[in-house]
Amino acid sequence: MAELGSFALLLALALSVYSFLAGLAALIYQKPAAQPAGRAHTPPEDIGFAALLRRGSERLAETSRRAGVASFGAVLLASIILVICAFQDDFSIAYIFHHSNRDLPGPYKFAVLWSGQEGSLLFWSLLLTGYAFVLRLRYKTDPRLFAYASVVLAGVQIFFLSLLNFAAHPFAIMQGNIPADGNGLNPLLQYPEMVIHPPMLYLGYVGFTVPFAFALGALIMKYPGEKWIHITRRWTMVTWGLLTCGIFLGAHWAYSVLGWGGYWGWDPVENASLMPWLTGTAFLHSVMMQEKRGMLKVWNMWLVFATFWLAILGTFLTRSGIISSVHAFAQSSIGDWFAWFLVITFGVFLFFFIKNRKSLESEHKLESLASRESSFLFNNLLFVLLCFTVLWGTWFPKISELVQGNKVTVGAPFYNRVAIPVALLLLVLTAIGPLLAWRKTSLESLKRNFLWPTVGAIIVAILLMATPESWGSIFGLKPWRDISYFYSLMAISLSVLVILTVASEFYRGGKVISNHTGQGMFASMVQLTHRNTRRYGGYIVHFGAVVVIIGLAGAAFNQDQEKEMGYGDKMSIGPYTLLCRSYTEDESPNYFSQWAMIDVFKHGKPIGSMTPVRRFYKASQQTSTIPDIRSTLNEDLYLVFEGVNQDNGHPIIKAHLNPLVMWIWMGVWIMLIGTGLALIPNAQVAVRVPATTRLERAQPAPVATGD
Amino acid sequence: MTWLFVAALLTVATLFYVFYIPGRLFLGPEKTRVGYLRERKDAVYENLRDLNFEYQAGKVPDSDYQQMKSSLQDEAAAILAEIARLEPRNGS
Repeated sequence: MAELGSFALLLALALSVYSFLAGLAALIYQKPAAQPAGRAHTPPEDIGFAALLRRGSERLAETSRRAGVASFGAVLLASIILVICAFQDDFSIAYIFHHSNRDLPGPYKFAVLWSGQEGSLLFWSLLLTGYAFVLRLRYKTDPRLFAYASVVLAGVQIFFLSLLNFAAHPFAIMQGNIPADGNGLNPLLQYPEMVIHPPMLYLGYVGFTVPFAFALGALIMKYPGEKWIHITRRWTMVTWGLLTCGIFLGAHWAYSVLGWGGYWGWDPVENASLMPWLTGTAFLHSVMMQEKRGMLKVWNMWLVFATFWLAILGTFLTRSGIISSVHAFAQSSIGDWFAWFLVITFGVFLFFFIKNRKSLESEHKLESLASRESSFLFNNLLFVLLCFTVLWGTWFPKISELVQGNKVTVGAPFYNRVAIPVALLLLVLTAIGPLLAWRKTSLESLKRNFLWPTVGAIIVAILLMATPESWGSIFGLKPWRDISYFYSLMAISLSVLVILTVASEFYRGGKVISNHTGQGMFASMVQLTHRNTRRYGGYIVHFGAVVVIIGLAGAAFNQDQEKEMGYGDKMSIGPYTLLCRSYTEDESPNYFSQWAMIDVFKHGKPIGSMTPVRRFYKASQQTSTIPDIRSTLNEDLYLVFEGVNQDNGHPIIKAHLNPLVMWIWMGVWIMLIGTGLALIPNAQVAVRVPATTRLERAQPAPVATGD
Repeated sequence: MTWLFVAALLTVATLFYVFYIPGRLFLGPEKTRVGYLRERKDAVYENLRDLNFEYQAGKVPDSDYQQMKSSLQDEAAAILAEIARLEPRNGS
């Protein structure tokens, strides 16, 4: 089996190299495109090998496309073989020996595919060739543009498949005797969400290669117009949705497994996933300016590139061991491969950008600061500022080591100092942006649209401050006591402002449709959303994002307690009283476990019992905690089995009280629903524009040709 | 040695798929300036549609609406004028 897997990988590399070289030759020697009217064209001299290539360029391009399609089949075969080997406990393969064991449950054996360095690179290649497979099958949308994008993707495929074949081979054979059992999967990864978190994250990471491939293709061919943006819009939204899902699944996994009571620790690997998400989010906004007004073409091109580049940089961070992280892969030589790939991609992009930048000239200029364009622009600047902060914080330990000789670690306070004010400003823009008109907005319009949402937000802020503290959670908020309380109050009030502006958008739009059709308001709002799914789906994403922000704002009120608890011992936290009823040990084929049964009382009334667990995995000889979490809309009660007092055997229990955490997970669901809605095609609406009546006095359009 | 047989079979099947291309290829239409202008026209029409809707929703005051509508109509007219100028030549 291992031999066939190795062969499949080699075949995939050969097909990718052919797809790249044949595609490149076909594009270089393609038959000249029809020239724009009024331009003379001198045919090239039609002799020799070049002429042969020119005559057969279309067939050559087709073989390139087909080789790319076939490469997916080869990588898929290699991946299937690796999974089969995991299920067959084939410990002759080093990768299976290091990441699996006989008693590992079935779903985790499947997850072995992405749980180690070599396997995850194979999985990355599978997703990359899978995306490229879909792209290459849909080539009829625009064969020339797709041919360019296909060549770019083939170039990226070559890199990853070369890594697999020559530097991190997943089918490498064990030296010496074949072991009877494997080392087992990392205990932290033996959790249901870990089966889906990496695929989601990778789908997001890898997916951004597609918009980048189209962008670079459009730049190289000086593609006239914005059609490439239309083509990539769905790709970008799907990818963004998957990355969002991956990031928050990771946060939920960290919360549910790592046992420190938090969901985000500004770890370099977490940051690696956040950076492309930030630039990708900026791109999803700024791209609208290019579509609507033909503006920010250069900016968008760089944003797409930065998003792709940061996704690769993130992979470099996790693979090279250059930066310490709780969940980075071991240090290995493949870091050099990634470093070179980053340099080469930057060089290629920069070369074509300098060569063809004139094709990216804007068609309009910013007319007013009070316009939707400027709100998008500021939104972009803030996202990029945030991304740069995260990038700087992630690399600072390494930079300080190189400059000063000692590694200075950067913790949460550094990131929070920038991220929180920037997030608040982004909330302001999220509230303002949809209410501003394109081009410019008058003072009268501003007053008309902002008055009631602002009044609503101020009322909520006053209510939060005026309510008694005994209500718990975020009530009785006194912003003057601590800066974190002030930030929480601002975050919640601005979130309410966003919710009210989103609601007013739905209400006003629904009212127009209701007036025209006589339908009820709800039916009108549904129709409104269907008429412009991207816009109203986007508003739902905004709504989800502010629900997440409200959840994050709750972190200012987190509490925790730790206590050794024998039979009948009590501990209090917030309105809860915890009583230790019993504690014991257990054994399963895969692990030993210790657990405590804690009865929980709220305001003195029993509400149930909780069982935090600590496991010791036999194969890997590692320990892991499984916290028990009781979630409500108001707060999470989070219990961790920290350890055991060796003298008396009593468990040490740590209790966290984390307000509003459930809002984070609800908000993510809303964001994903909004993304899904935005992907639905718009309902067709007839348009009648009397512009033709002005034909006689019109001048030729001041629009770029792109060439 | 089964794997060698499977590998040989895979190679032959792949080569056949990649290089055996019967029939005519789909090349798609060439992108011209007129095609590009039509895309721009659609974008401007969409902007007009959005503006009309926002006006009806009461988001845009009358004076702003008239000014922005006029500006967008001028832009659409300019594009239509260039399409009209180029189309007879492209169509011939």
